[in-house]
Amino acid sequence: MARTPIDLLQGTLDVLILKSLSWGPRHGHAVARLIRASTGGAFEVLDGSLYAALHRMEERGWVAAEWGLSDKGKRAKFYQLTAVGRQQLRSETATWQRYSVAVAKLLTATDQP
Amino acid sequence: MLNRLFSEIRFRLRALFHRGKLEQELDTELSFHLQKETEKHMANGASPDEANRRARAAFGAVQGTKDDARDARGISLLDSVVQDVRYALRGLRKRPAFTLGVVLTLGLGIGANAAMFGIVDRLLFRPPLGLKDPETAHRVFQHRLVEDRRPRIDRNFNFRRYLDLQRNTRSFESFAAFQTRTLALGEGTDTHEAKVTVASASYLQFFEVRPALGRFYGPAEDSVPAGAPVVVLGYDYWKSRYGGRSDVIGRQLRIDRSTFTVIGVAPKGFVGAGDQGVPAAFIPITAYAHAVRGPRYPTVYTWTWMEMLARRKPGITQAAAEQDLTNALLGSWRETIAEQPNWGKLEDLGIRGELGPMHLARGPLAGQDSKVATWVLGVAAIVLLIACANVANLFLSRAFARRREFAMRLALGVTRGRLARQLLTESLVLALIGGAAGLVIAQWGAAALRAAFLDDAASAVIVDPRTLLFTALAVLVTALLTGIVPAVQTGRGNVNLTLKGGANEGPHRSRARPLLLVFQATLSVVLLIGAGLFVRSLSHVRNYRLGYDVAPILYASANPRGYRPTEAEQQTIAESMLETAKRIPGVQYATLTISVPFWSNEGTGIWVPGVDSVNQKWNFLFNTGSPDYFKTMGTRILRGRAFDERDRAGTGLVLVVGERMAQVLWPGQDALGKCVKIGAENEPCAQVIGIAEEMHLRSLTSERDYSYYIPVVQHTAPPDPQVFVRVSGDPERAIEPLRRELQRLMPGPAYVNVVPLSQLVDPSLRSWKFGSTMFVAFGGLALLLAAIGLYSMIAYDVTQRTRELGLRIALGSSVSRVLRLIVSSGLRLVGAGVVLGVLLALWGAKWMEGLMFQQEPRDPLIYGVVAGILLLVAVVAAVVPALRATRIDPNSALRLD
Repeated sequence: MARTPIDLLQGTLDVLILKSLSWGPRHGHAVARLIRASTGGAFEVLDGSLYAALHRMEERGWVAAEWGLSDKGKRAKFYQLTAVGRQQLRSETATWQRYSVAVAKLLTATDQP
Repeated sequence: MLNRLFSEIRFRLRALFHRGKLEQELDTELSFHLQKETEKHMANGASPDEANRRARAAFGAVQGTKDDARDARGISLLDSVVQDVRYALRGLRKRPAFTLGVVLTLGLGIGANAAMFGIVDRLLFRPPLGLKDPETAHRVFQHRLVEDRRPRIDRNFNFRRYLDLQRNTRSFESFAAFQTRTLALGEGTDTHEAKVTVASASYLQFFEVRPALGRFYGPAEDSVPAGAPVVVLGYDYWKSRYGGRSDVIGRQLRIDRSTFTVIGVAPKGFVGAGDQGVPAAFIPITAYAHAVRGPRYPTVYTWTWMEMLARRKPGITQAAAEQDLTNALLGSWRETIAEQPNWGKLEDLGIRGELGPMHLARGPLAGQDSKVATWVLGVAAIVLLIACANVANLFLSRAFARRREFAMRLALGVTRGRLARQLLTESLVLALIGGAAGLVIAQWGAAALRAAFLDDAASAVIVDPRTLLFTALAVLVTALLTGIVPAVQTGRGNVNLTLKGGANEGPHRSRARPLLLVFQATLSVVLLIGAGLFVRSLSHVRNYRLGYDVAPILYASANPRGYRPTEAEQQTIAESMLETAKRIPGVQYATLTISVPFWSNEGTGIWVPGVDSVNQKWNFLFNTGSPDYFKTMGTRILRGRAFDERDRAGTGLVLVVGERMAQVLWPGQDALGKCVKIGAENEPCAQVIGIAEEMHLRSLTSERDYSYYIPVVQHTAPPDPQVFVRVSGDPERAIEPLRRELQRLMPGPAYVNVVPLSQLVDPSLRSWKFGSTMFVAFGGLALLLAAIGLYSMIAYDVTQRTRELGLRIALGSSVSRVLRLIVSSGLRLVGAGVVLGVLLALWGAKWMEGLMFQQEPRDPLIYGVVAGILLLVAVVAAVVPALRATRIDPNSALRLD
């Protein structure tokens, strides 16, 4: 592999999961797949933590879970963003953007202020 | 917001109540994921096994994930507790010997405490059943000064004083008068003695209880002077005598000398202010007093007999109420002195009132028993400490043996906190089982304790909510004490070192264990010294010559029960009792008597020519007897002769004096032939014809009492209808024939009661008997526990040092050297404990002084013997594992990992 996986920063996983669910309901495995694929394998999401996070979010009411059938007809638990979850995604996205802009500004600065 | 709250609650509830379903769902979800991953890896060309392995690897430990997911549900604490308990139980089942040992050890420790707590609680703390507002209820005591300005505390009053106090105080809601007396109940052959509480109507109102049947008597039935002849039966008496029938109401029952009508039954377990057991009946105090003393009893200050309770008005402090009480008492005494000037001046009497606690044992007149009981509770606590030390020790050695397992788990990511929690759970589970065992032991041992300490065996329920609460506390403390050390120890230590080190060689040895052992030895020494002191005291008491024999003597007395014989009739009854008693098979000697040891005794002033103010200096008790008096009592004549048939009503007056009396009256002279005037200064001389042993009639150590003896026929009053008989063989078996024969002589309602003399004397030995029994039992238990602790520690040590010892032997160390090495390490610890224990006992000895009987609390013999026993036990406990160590095969020892 060309790039070494980065350890997820604390709190990052939630926003990634919320984002992947924003495209529609999917089961845990699909969420993992999506995160891995769309970050180009940069993040090593330990599958265990993924489920812990999903359950935590379910408890907080950010996602709603429902048992359904996978495309191969297996029983699987599908997660879906709730209104609260969507709001949470928006606010966390905003936070992240502010945060990363700020960090980037400093890291790319050429002059000492 | 509210909506979210609801959804959260629902989620939590679901989590709690649908555990199984959720687990299943979680399983399904995770296995679905694994399957998908496996499929993916297989699609990329991995073998099924490899694919599965990779899938799992990416997941982290499946179990861990489940834990994380569960954590998210917020039930993990509860869950992990359940898990820890299961884990603990599994571990305990796997080691039955360990578990049994620990449970028994803790069971004995906790059981001893629960049982003793039950007693001490009853004696000292728990308010009497049903007592309303215990804060404001008091027993009334009176302080005054008697001869030589010695302070004296009374709890007995006369009825007129009770009326005075009611009239002349303002701080009290009410006063109650009562006394529990042994009275005759029933008629004819059915006559039996039982405890009856004679009590004012206000007494019952001190309690918030309802009669089990019928009603209580009220003020109208307790009116001065005669009251009404009504009776409320005690619950147990009603059950046993009337079979619990409800038609008992309205029946007639003869009590003492009058007939009472049953109007109610007291509730179960109701003893009143009771220190004297569960009464068979309650009757109005006025009705009883009137029947016994006639209508004048409320107008005189002379009949001092009943006890009093007082209830403060709300808002009145105890100090203020006490002042009010003292003032009223002073007023009452002023009147007493006006009527009976021989009391002297009011100022000299030092009258003061005291509002004491309801528990006699906590009040100013507390007996020896409550002190001993408190001591024994302390002892029980020490035994529990020793048991805890032992169990902590066992836990430590287990924890030490399991430290690799712990290290492994720590390395695998289990937190130290979790591990410590697990160990604590284990000790808690054990303590709980031990507590349950303890309750069984307590219940079983309680009967013995109750018999020893509380008269009312029937009413004392040992396992009650308060005792249960206490036991629960003991369990908790035990769990903490036993679990904390190992738990802390697991928190220490370097995981790496432990994992690398051999199984039998720790990087560090626990310092806690030797300390625990020293601690155990110390406490054992203290207990055993206490046991030794009590045992010696008891044997002093047993061997103490009271001046008469106790075991072979029966005491028979006629109770006239209201029948008033003429003097001549009483004479006849007494004489025929004596003659009849002598004819009973097994009776060796019999005598009439006036004094009964520890029961009743008479004193009369004497005048001795040439000796001044005899009666101010000494206190003389006298006794009258038949010619066989000394043979019956076993009292030895030291010089001169006993009175006998030659000494009759018309012949010269004679007396026999006690040896101490002879010494104080005629120091350095021969007492024989001296003149003593009995009763008054102008009486004719009675001649001293003999010197006998001094009889102890009132207490074991009555330094102030002296006794003398005169022939009953020369006494001015007719003899009391009571006899002592000396029996050969089992005295118990002579009781009934004697009673039956004597009963035939009784006129009218009078009846005869026969008891062994020991029954009258034993209560004064009770505290020593109990103290020595309990100290020996607990001291022995402590010694056993300490021995087990020492043995297990040394045995364990030997196992730990197998390799080292093997090496020593391989290098040519002799067997005896190895033995010495091990035994001396054990001895060092116990020796330190012995020294500490002896010091502690020497220091604590001053508090034991009052509890001893002719026993120096710093007796070097006892200290020496105890130290010897402990060291001996240490040697034995160490030698067994040490011998095993010498048999270590150096070869295999060195090959151990």
